[in-house]
Amino acid sequence: MLSRLKQMLIKEFLQVFRDKRTRFVLFVPPIVQMLIFGYAATFEIQHVPTAILDLDHTQESRELISRFSSSPYFQVGWQLTRPQELVDLIDRGEATVALQIHPGFSEDLRKGQTAPLQVIVDATNSNTALIAAGYVNQIAQGFAQDYQTERMGRISPYLVDNIPSVELQPRPWYNVNLKSRWFFVPGVIGSLTLVLVTTLTAFAVVREREIGTLEQIMVTPIRPFEFILGKTVPFFLIGLLDVSLIAAVGTLWFRVPLRGSIAVLFAGTVLFMLCMLGAGLLISTVSSTQQQAMVTAFFFIMPAIIFSGFGFPISTMPQWLQYLTYFNPLRYFLIVLRGTYLKGTGFSILWPEMIAMAALGSFLLVLSVLRFHKALD
Amino acid sequence: MNAADRSVLIENLVKRFGDFTAVDHISLETRKGEIFGFLGPNGAGKSTTIRMLCGLLRPSSGRAVVAGFDVAREPESVRQNIGYMSQKFSLYNDLKVIENLRLFAGLYNVPRHVAAERIAWALEMADLKGQEAMVTGTLPGGWKQRLALGCAVLHRPPILFLDEPTSGVDPISRRQFWDLIHQMSAEGVTVFVTTHYMEEAEYCNRLAMIDRGKLVALGTPTELKQKSMKGHLLLIECDPLGTAVETLQNAPEVLDAAVFGNALHVLVPNAATGAEQLRAYLGSHSVQVSKMEPIRPSLEDVFVALTSERENKKEAA
Amino acid sequence: MRWGRLKAMAGKEIIQIIRDPRSLGIVLLMPVVLVLLFGYGVSLDLKHLPVYVYDREASQQSQALLKRFQSNQYFDIVRAVNNYPDLVKALDSGKAKMALVIPYDFSERLRAGGAVSVQALVDASDDNTANVLIGYAQAVVQGYSNDIQLEWIQRRGQQVQPPPLSVETRTWYNENLESSAFIVPGVLAVVMSVIGAFLTSLTIAREWERGTMEQLISTPVSALEIMLGKLTPYFIVGMFDAGVCVVLAIFWFQVPFRGTVLALLVSSALFLIALLCLGYFISVVAKNQLAASQIALVATFLPAFLLSGFLFAIEQMPQFVQLVTRILPARYYVSSLKMIFLKGTPIGMLYGQLVPLAIFAVALALLATRTFHKRLV
Repeated sequence: MLSRLKQMLIKEFLQVFRDKRTRFVLFVPPIVQMLIFGYAATFEIQHVPTAILDLDHTQESRELISRFSSSPYFQVGWQLTRPQELVDLIDRGEATVALQIHPGFSEDLRKGQTAPLQVIVDATNSNTALIAAGYVNQIAQGFAQDYQTERMGRISPYLVDNIPSVELQPRPWYNVNLKSRWFFVPGVIGSLTLVLVTTLTAFAVVREREIGTLEQIMVTPIRPFEFILGKTVPFFLIGLLDVSLIAAVGTLWFRVPLRGSIAVLFAGTVLFMLCMLGAGLLISTVSSTQQQAMVTAFFFIMPAIIFSGFGFPISTMPQWLQYLTYFNPLRYFLIVLRGTYLKGTGFSILWPEMIAMAALGSFLLVLSVLRFHKALD
Repeated sequence: MNAADRSVLIENLVKRFGDFTAVDHISLETRKGEIFGFLGPNGAGKSTTIRMLCGLLRPSSGRAVVAGFDVAREPESVRQNIGYMSQKFSLYNDLKVIENLRLFAGLYNVPRHVAAERIAWALEMADLKGQEAMVTGTLPGGWKQRLALGCAVLHRPPILFLDEPTSGVDPISRRQFWDLIHQMSAEGVTVFVTTHYMEEAEYCNRLAMIDRGKLVALGTPTELKQKSMKGHLLLIECDPLGTAVETLQNAPEVLDAAVFGNALHVLVPNAATGAEQLRAYLGSHSVQVSKMEPIRPSLEDVFVALTSERENKKEAA
Repeated sequence: MRWGRLKAMAGKEIIQIIRDPRSLGIVLLMPVVLVLLFGYGVSLDLKHLPVYVYDREASQQSQALLKRFQSNQYFDIVRAVNNYPDLVKALDSGKAKMALVIPYDFSERLRAGGAVSVQALVDASDDNTANVLIGYAQAVVQGYSNDIQLEWIQRRGQQVQPPPLSVETRTWYNENLESSAFIVPGVLAVVMSVIGAFLTSLTIAREWERGTMEQLISTPVSALEIMLGKLTPYFIVGMFDAGVCVVLAIFWFQVPFRGTVLALLVSSALFLIALLCLGYFISVVAKNQLAASQIALVATFLPAFLLSGFLFAIEQMPQFVQLVTRILPARYYVSSLKMIFLKGTPIGMLYGQLVPLAIFAVALALLATRTFHKRLV
């Protein structure tokens, strides 16, 4: 059996590496994607184009404005004089945030009355809008707090010294500087691996069926199990190589720290790839042409990525969807990836994820082997 | 041959793939309505030549004129006037028989009002009447070939290029296929066929033998059999066969010796003088000769001789 | 160009598409599924995030503060622990996204006057969630602090001063900051990418692999007729799928549609044409389906998903990535969709999006026709 297997492996590797295009496609796109998406995927915001309309022109209003212009989150690009200009900028999409300070602003403050600050946020990109609105709020509240403290200090200085206050000390863990990239790079590694291994495996078998060489191989003494092994092992190894490449880019280029052990990462990767191999094989048993394999694979890949916690926390999804994610191997792999990269966690914490992937992987592989037998009869 | 009778002209056609010369200065002409055979071992350059004639490959040098059009300069006009059957079956397996026919009728600009009629004729000729709704991929081999032929002639081209049209087909279907070819030829269509079946070669009006990209013989089957062999052929039944053929390779006065089934075909300069000499020679090498008689060479003999003759010539030079 | 030949080619392509029920089914179903997936699954509204608390004092005041967290929809206090290691474990394992630590002398310090700090340990591996959590936690704490101060001031007989500044935020175009409003139009770009480029990328490569190409190019059909014949059915399918997505978005997810159907049609048609030609070009160049699919993935689907601006704001990406997005048709399409759906921009104002799309469509069409030659080698 081993010699037959060896022959199949040799054939697969020859086919893969002899074709210049296939060689290129197996290694270059993953790295390119890693680089670009590593840079592109970010939820951080900074230099949000902001327009300010100051109709008050007092020291207080200017003080408030300066807080915005000195903030890294906002880029005050326009200081306007007419309300219509404000509307236009937002309409045209040039400004994302617009602040309007009405005349009488400082007077209201001095009288101790509520001085409204009008903020318009262009919510066509909901996420930026949400975060920007949050920061606007923070800055405005900061200004209000300081103004209040200062005023009270003028009225009754001793009060200010003794007034109680509660403040929050945020301590970001694992990612002290809250770099979006640290969150996404492991996610991109996981997603790229998913796409690569699943499509390659699905294609590998179907290709032979479509070109017609499958029959030729099946009349040899090779057994279906050996055939499957022969098909999957090369892509397993290639996939492993690819994952190492993109993980290297993530660590060396993007400087995402790898705090955990490589052994744990490796174990998680192997288990995840088993799942993907199983999925790819399963897809190949239900497809007779490469086109079918591709659309079916896509049908599986898209939900897998969306519902994995890649960009959107699973806890924000409706309950029934959250249950479904338990069957998604990528969900577990991302936990392992982020765990080993950012949290430095080991098997003691990650064992549930490892077991889940092992279980899913075995199930998928067994199922696809069974189906393969049937398909041949 | 004057231009009016000529269907295909090939002048010093060459095709190189990198360092490898697949077609090496081939020149020939074919007449309208003749069945012209291209005979040669695998890899000789037959398919490459045909593909150049169909405009599918660009010649490295030389020229070819098909149906009056230069293949390098006016490939589209060539395509409108030829029918082509590729070596590997290349119709759409997921289309039904009738759908493949309609597709090619459309692609060959068969006018609408005659298309239905031509398709019916093609079905009749290919003996596929009643099978219109069958999915092409499910057809048995011989039927597929006939369908491919049908699709190639819907537009009644004056020239047909058939690249190993009967490979993998059972003998009965092969015979039927050749009946069709003869029918076409009778109607004035030039049929350019490549084959490596000797008996099919016999059906052709004229043959070209190709070996390693070069044209090694050209003529009618009879001409080839009569003129190509430089010597007489003896059939020798003897025992043991293996020893005999080895011995004879080195024997004096033996031009060539090859195994044909249970006997040897041995080429000698003169059958009358050489026969007894050979019997003695073999006897001295412990080979029992049970039968020896002169025979007329078959195309296969010619073929083997020409290809090994060239090998000898090369070694001598 | 002969109409008869074109019809024959297109007819064959249509038959082949219909004859493959799996691909056809997926192609028709996929937009529906994707819209539903994205609409339900993707949500950037982070709510009910799990929080662990370590209340070292457990007094009335500390409990009052915690109650405010609990009643805030962004937090879900899952467990109270009484030691630090348990908190660490909770964060490490992901059971908690945030852990609040209230000092043992909380109420004492408040009584004495002065600042007290409450620690919030935040899992910042997901920086976005972390940012939101920190922001809202600060707001809760700030509110609590203000109330304490007010009470304190009142008890000392001072006049109660209302907070001097209130922020009135209005979000335009997407009042409820519904994620679905901007995500669902973005799905259109993804769907079109799949149909337009992903599928067509296989079409020429498949004929080479199956061997039917040789027969095809030996006929008088021209390269242009082959291309148009192959792409027309996919264009129809693509526009149909786009229509289905739009209908679903508007009627099922209540995404506002403030623009004109004409603008939507024109931008979708241009985008689809650009993608079809790109897919065709990939198919010609790649020559085998495996390579074609991988290239198509990188060149069309993943950019549409990650770089088009539908999920991650382009303005927030590094400069060179922003430059890369300028050569992506998807970027212009997504931006036009947002403007059409949410802002109701009339077609005359969309030239910034439509002109680049038109240029892409023409350029790619030229590229596609030029690269395909009716020759074997």
